Amino acid sequence: MTTASLRAPSKRPTPSAARQPQDGYAGKLLRVDLAKKKCWAEPWSPDAMRELVGGVGLGAMILYRETATKGGKGNVSWDHPDNRLVMATGPMAGLPAWGSSGLTVVTIGAGTNGPTSTQANGFFGTNLKYSGYDAIIIQGHAPDWVYLYINDDVVELRDARDLLGKDTWATQDTLSAKLGLSGHMLSVYSIGPAGENLARFAAIQGDYGHVASKNGCGAVMGKKKLKAVAIVRGTKALRASDPRGLMQAADDIGFDLRTDPSAKSLYEYGTLPGVVNLSRLGALPIKNYTTNVSSVDMSQWEAPKLREGFDHRGHQCSACGMHHCHMSVIRQGERKGTIVDEPEYEGWSGAGWAIGAMSDIEGVAWLNTELDKACLDVNEFGWICGWVMECQEKGYITEEQLGFRLKWGDIKGAARLIQMISHRQGFGNLLAEGVKRAAEKLGSPAKDCAIYTERGAAPRGHDHRARWDEMLDTCTAATGTLESGVPVHPTEVGQPARINTFDGEAVAKFIAGIRGRRNFEDSLGMCIFTTRTRLENLCRALNAATGWDVTVPETVRFGRRTSAILRAVSLRCGHTPDLERPSTRYGSTPIDGPAKGQAVGAQWEKMVDTWYREVGYDRKSGKPLPATLKELGLDWLTKDLWGKRA
Amino acid sequence: MATRHVVIGGGTAGMNAIRTIREEEAARSEITLVSAEKPYSRMVLPYYLDRSIAESHVFTATPRVLADWGVKAHLGRRVTALDAKANACTLDDGTTLEYDDCLIATGSSAVRAPVPGADGRGVHSFWTLDEARAVLAEIAPGSHVVMVGAGFIAFTILNSILALGAKLTIVEMEPRILPRMIDDAGATLVEGWLAKHGVAIRTGARLATIEDAKGRKRLRFAAGGDIVCDVVIMATGIKTNLEWLKGSGVTINRGVIVDDHLRSSVPNVYAAGDIAEGRDLITGEPAVHAIEPTAQEHGRVAGANMAGKDVRYRGSLIINIVEVCHLDVASFGAWDEAKAEAASGVKPDRPAYRKLLWRGDRLTGAIILGPSSDIWTTNDVGMLKGLVQSGVSLARFKAYLKRNPFDIKPAFIASKTTSALLPETILGRPSKAPGNTPVAV
Amino acid sequence: MLATATNVLRIHPEKCTGCLRCELACSYMQTGTFHPAKSVIRVSPFEGHTSYAPYTCTQCAEGWCMTACPVGAITINAAGAKDVLDDTCVGCKLCTIACPYGTMFYDPDTRKAFKCNLCGGAPACAEACPTAAITYEGTATEDWLGEFARVRSARVLAGVR
Repeated sequence: MTTASLRAPSKRPTPSAARQPQDGYAGKLLRVDLAKKKCWAEPWSPDAMRELVGGVGLGAMILYRETATKGGKGNVSWDHPDNRLVMATGPMAGLPAWGSSGLTVVTIGAGTNGPTSTQANGFFGTNLKYSGYDAIIIQGHAPDWVYLYINDDVVELRDARDLLGKDTWATQDTLSAKLGLSGHMLSVYSIGPAGENLARFAAIQGDYGHVASKNGCGAVMGKKKLKAVAIVRGTKALRASDPRGLMQAADDIGFDLRTDPSAKSLYEYGTLPGVVNLSRLGALPIKNYTTNVSSVDMSQWEAPKLREGFDHRGHQCSACGMHHCHMSVIRQGERKGTIVDEPEYEGWSGAGWAIGAMSDIEGVAWLNTELDKACLDVNEFGWICGWVMECQEKGYITEEQLGFRLKWGDIKGAARLIQMISHRQGFGNLLAEGVKRAAEKLGSPAKDCAIYTERGAAPRGHDHRARWDEMLDTCTAATGTLESGVPVHPTEVGQPARINTFDGEAVAKFIAGIRGRRNFEDSLGMCIFTTRTRLENLCRALNAATGWDVTVPETVRFGRRTSAILRAVSLRCGHTPDLERPSTRYGSTPIDGPAKGQAVGAQWEKMVDTWYREVGYDRKSGKPLPATLKELGLDWLTKDLWGKRA
Repeated sequence: MATRHVVIGGGTAGMNAIRTIREEEAARSEITLVSAEKPYSRMVLPYYLDRSIAESHVFTATPRVLADWGVKAHLGRRVTALDAKANACTLDDGTTLEYDDCLIATGSSAVRAPVPGADGRGVHSFWTLDEARAVLAEIAPGSHVVMVGAGFIAFTILNSILALGAKLTIVEMEPRILPRMIDDAGATLVEGWLAKHGVAIRTGARLATIEDAKGRKRLRFAAGGDIVCDVVIMATGIKTNLEWLKGSGVTINRGVIVDDHLRSSVPNVYAAGDIAEGRDLITGEPAVHAIEPTAQEHGRVAGANMAGKDVRYRGSLIINIVEVCHLDVASFGAWDEAKAEAASGVKPDRPAYRKLLWRGDRLTGAIILGPSSDIWTTNDVGMLKGLVQSGVSLARFKAYLKRNPFDIKPAFIASKTTSALLPETILGRPSKAPGNTPVAV
Repeated sequence: MLATATNVLRIHPEKCTGCLRCELACSYMQTGTFHPAKSVIRVSPFEGHTSYAPYTCTQCAEGWCMTACPVGAITINAAGAKDVLDDTCVGCKLCTIACPYGTMFYDPDTRKAFKCNLCGGAPACAEACPTAAITYEGTATEDWLGEFARVRSARVLAGVR
């Protein structure tokens, strides 16, 4: 097909961009115009790097600058050719800090039709940066299916028609075979049938089991007719300002991860302990939030037990020492010998507990990988599938409607649902619209059983009725998913070490107070699990890589600046504060279990009010207040948001 | 009385033999070296030609080193006759040297195409240090150099000529380049690559004469199309330096026939390097392998046996590697065996080509082309050599390798090639480091 | 870890997760930058994406690279490793083709050969490996990967994932 080798940018590099390259960075952004079939490298200046860092920081600014409609009041929708699909790494990517191959996908997502920031890892960041690029900015719609091939300075849009219909693993297998590159010599992020068919919760899956899953970023890729991004391990060098210092900082981070109580279990078992730990809090979502009491012996769900049943093999991301990502070989049952990605906690919950599959552990592991292959977000699938199961049980969705009987815990039935959604077959066509749209289409009483936010996002795989902090975060975040995230060393940013999690006021203050860190982490090109160390260590690593002098307060300020920019984009997308609330079921009160009777609904409005006050945003319009923007150094945004009045 | 060794030829084979004798001998012997030239390494002359090393860098043994090793050297002398019955040889200055054993390591020399004007002014061979000096003196930036012959030797100095800023044209009588190093498909790829890098190539070109043309040189061809240039380099082949052995009593075929101890038909006369016709590792047949690694191994095995050890030599493996304009071109073993089972592959996006040749489950030869910046190619160069050298059974991987000729590593490792190779040494013991002298051997 | 002439890099393939951190550390020692393309320890994949193992110079007894070098540019350092003397190496690549293990490398930028020199006795790869899949021990070198690779290549050969 087209061979669009790198061309000189139409703009001459600015003098600052022509300066000595910035340590820690590859130094170029790769721009891909699918409609024009052209790819070119754009320089970015050390000043811009310092301002935007990378990942979501860079992506948010690109969305803000490039996705507005004419006049700047509105925003292009997810399926518009001018929507951008930013696949960004960051300054730490490719360097020896653990989990340093971070990919952050930033786009206008198909789920909320608003801004998206979603992460994955594997070897994307490493392969891309050693090829000479810090990020890929994709625009336009390809006339026919292509994949993006990157091999150092050879960047081409290649015919992908033969890959069409293949699942994400088969796509990577095929490209590996075709290019004669095995293992991490080739990093492939692709979409499966769900992305091709524009399922609104389609994800982008890469390197066998790593998923940028949120907000339908895979549908954006599908709309652009971009089947895959394949990056050959680059042959260029990355310089660190103080390489020895960087290795020391990386080792210190590793030490924290191995020994710090807040990270140690992740180090040993990844997110597997989540199942049992969250069940103790009532935060393990069971059967579509219909109960919080497990009907099975929980000892079989202890982390070591989850590994024992499999021949598990390390499948770590770049430079990572966590015992987190693994491949598992199923040892028994009808799928014996099958290699699957060891499910994350969210896999066990979304492909397991949420749909009532609580005893067939092998089955859940297999189903989770089927979702990755189809490229569906496991969280939203859990809510969709669990909802359909509950509705069938209650007679709200009939066997005729669905085409078959889907009972709680039915792995094969769930797999059938995956295929129906991925190919938009029958009832699957409706379900492919995501849990909110499907529920609204059916209306009450089915609608009242569905778990979503009014913005159109699906929550993570927890029962947030026992995690009010995450529910508030999920509902208020511009990206529709966790923005403040799980707190790591909250005292470091002046927040209390622990709070009463059912005190709405305290929760709102806390979740507002820890804001900023996560966007910073998601800009580094690292993994959210390997940044579970003191911010001071992250600063030390970043500064050793770049030669900067970033301080802890600056990281928080940077993250909040990024939040404000994402918020500005979401406002352009028409997301108003009235959408910042949970659906009926999502915001309901647990009827049993450890959080029984804890009514988040009763405190909701007050929580949101407090949150707005604390973050310095206008409760009515949702806009960041001019004083807030000034404090963040975003005066230019004040002008855009508030006009001359400010 | 100390054993008297005479080593005839100060090239790679001779110098390796001398050092190995010193390493292995039980009692200090007398070593006499007769060499027409001061010992130097031909392999590095291309780097002298492009001025990346000084001339002093090419020498493999300075007089001081020879003295340290206790070698009595007759430099600038040739042996004119060997009398195996009398255990003596005669030098061109009339000196007679008696020996208890001797090593024939007189190598080979360049031959020029038999065309009128081939021995004229401005026409050079590139084989000896003197010839390198002469070429270097004549090439200036902007010179037009014509290389007659497109074989391995020509290609070793291709980069150097370009590095000197000269314009290069290669003319080859055969229909394609590198006829004795790679196959047609590989040659086509290399030709395209060179054309892209500004090297003009004329194949199937029968040179008729070389004439003087107003201070320049004019090459006329049978099919017309003259070329006028400044310098002509004749890289039209080499011949074994055997003439002086007539009547010596040593059996000669294409070279001096040697056994697995590098002994000739006369038990106390050894031969090594380009001049020896020893066992080919792959075919098991006698062969002349005029390459540096064979000279080195021959020299060491001969030296050890001359020092009283009993070292058998498995045979030598043809290996060639040359880099042209950052493209690595290598071949091994029986790469050109017409009746071998072969499988090849080309990479669409890189100048990369592989050919694997099989006899049963064993890899007997290979061709590999790839960008030299591609470190993974370099990996595979060595591994292919290891597979051919060790002859491990690749039964499990044969079908896979035929489909995936670029995926050598899993086959190499999983076939336990490392296990097969680890015990293998040329002399039956760990090799010793060359030491602090700039001596290769 | 004490550097002795008998220490070798011992590979424990079953512990390798394929994170390639060793390559980063190695390239830093080799070049002063992070440049995995110039690492002399290389993680090989078996069974595509589920099995990996680092592969590097065995410091073999023959020292094919060393004996092949026409200018004596490869010697044995204090750690017992075959080591390239940069100022002597001319870049002729003979060592890269002589080494039957595929562990000699050539840098087109510097026009020199390079290889594992055990970092002079404190190998950075062993230091960097987060799972202790590479250790530096006083033992005889062996074919550390062969059996692992044999088992873990079955699927590749069977053409299944």
